[in-house]
Amino acid sequence: MKGEQLNSFTEINEKIIESTIEIFTGMVMMEIAVAGEPLQTMGPLKKSITGMVGLAGTHKGVLAVHFPKPVALAVTGSFLGMEVEEINEDVQDAIGEIANMLGGNLKTILSDRGKDIHLSLPSTIYGDEYAFSSQAEVDQVILPFQAPAGIFYVEVELER
Amino acid sequence: MAKNVLLVDDSSTMRKIISRSLRQAGLDFGEIYEAGDGQEALAMLEKESIDIVLSDINMPNMNGIEFLREKSNRPAIKDIPVFMISTETGEDIIGEAKSLGAIGALKKPFTPEKVNEVLGPLM
Repeated sequence: MKGEQLNSFTEINEKIIESTIEIFTGMVMMEIAVAGEPLQTMGPLKKSITGMVGLAGTHKGVLAVHFPKPVALAVTGSFLGMEVEEINEDVQDAIGEIANMLGGNLKTILSDRGKDIHLSLPSTIYGDEYAFSSQAEVDQVILPFQAPAGIFYVEVELER
Repeated sequence: MAKNVLLVDDSSTMRKIISRSLRQAGLDFGEIYEAGDGQEALAMLEKESIDIVLSDINMPNMNGIEFLREKSNRPAIKDIPVFMISTETGEDIIGEAKSLGAIGALKKPFTPEKVNEVLGPLM
């Protein structure tokens, strides 16, 4: 990664951390904290759900949030104020909306006027074991966060 | 008289959160109606007695900008105020929404306090 891009990504990391904490504190009603240094890669996701939004335009890439099942259930339960026992439509919608809000913030970080970047609608995937990887040459960062029910990850991939 | 509100968002989670935030903010409102996109919102506006619309921008089928444009062409509903609640708060897209009649915008994420501050005067 070039020095300039590294600086840029360091700035993105800080703002994504701020946004994630703001979303969880203000809307999910759950206290979270950064759980160590950013990761550059991540192994297969097991019994997890991923919410993601794509970015197109002057910056192309994806923002994804990866939640192990128990964390996703706790997050959705807190978000909606109800008990959730299985990954269902509510969980998919809630995790997708968290990705959507973070994607909106990332769009604002990358472009202050916003019109030169288009944000896709959020989507989710979940399963017993899956890998999340990009085909394109990307700069990537994975930010770990500690929630009461466990660790989850916010991942940003931007095409070089 | 308490105002009837239409929430337009493709996320059922977000519709619940906005509804909860309106209650937590202590705002005086009447019925809350819900729509999942702009097309559903237009149909709801023509069917129900709605005083104010709180709408997302980024939605499938008919997004918030297309909804504003289509609504402005329908005399029976064109004067019902629309307030945008969205992750999309770049000045260009909000400027476009306002040029089509939106009366303001609130950025997601938001807190009940922010909802009270921004929407309180409209209720």
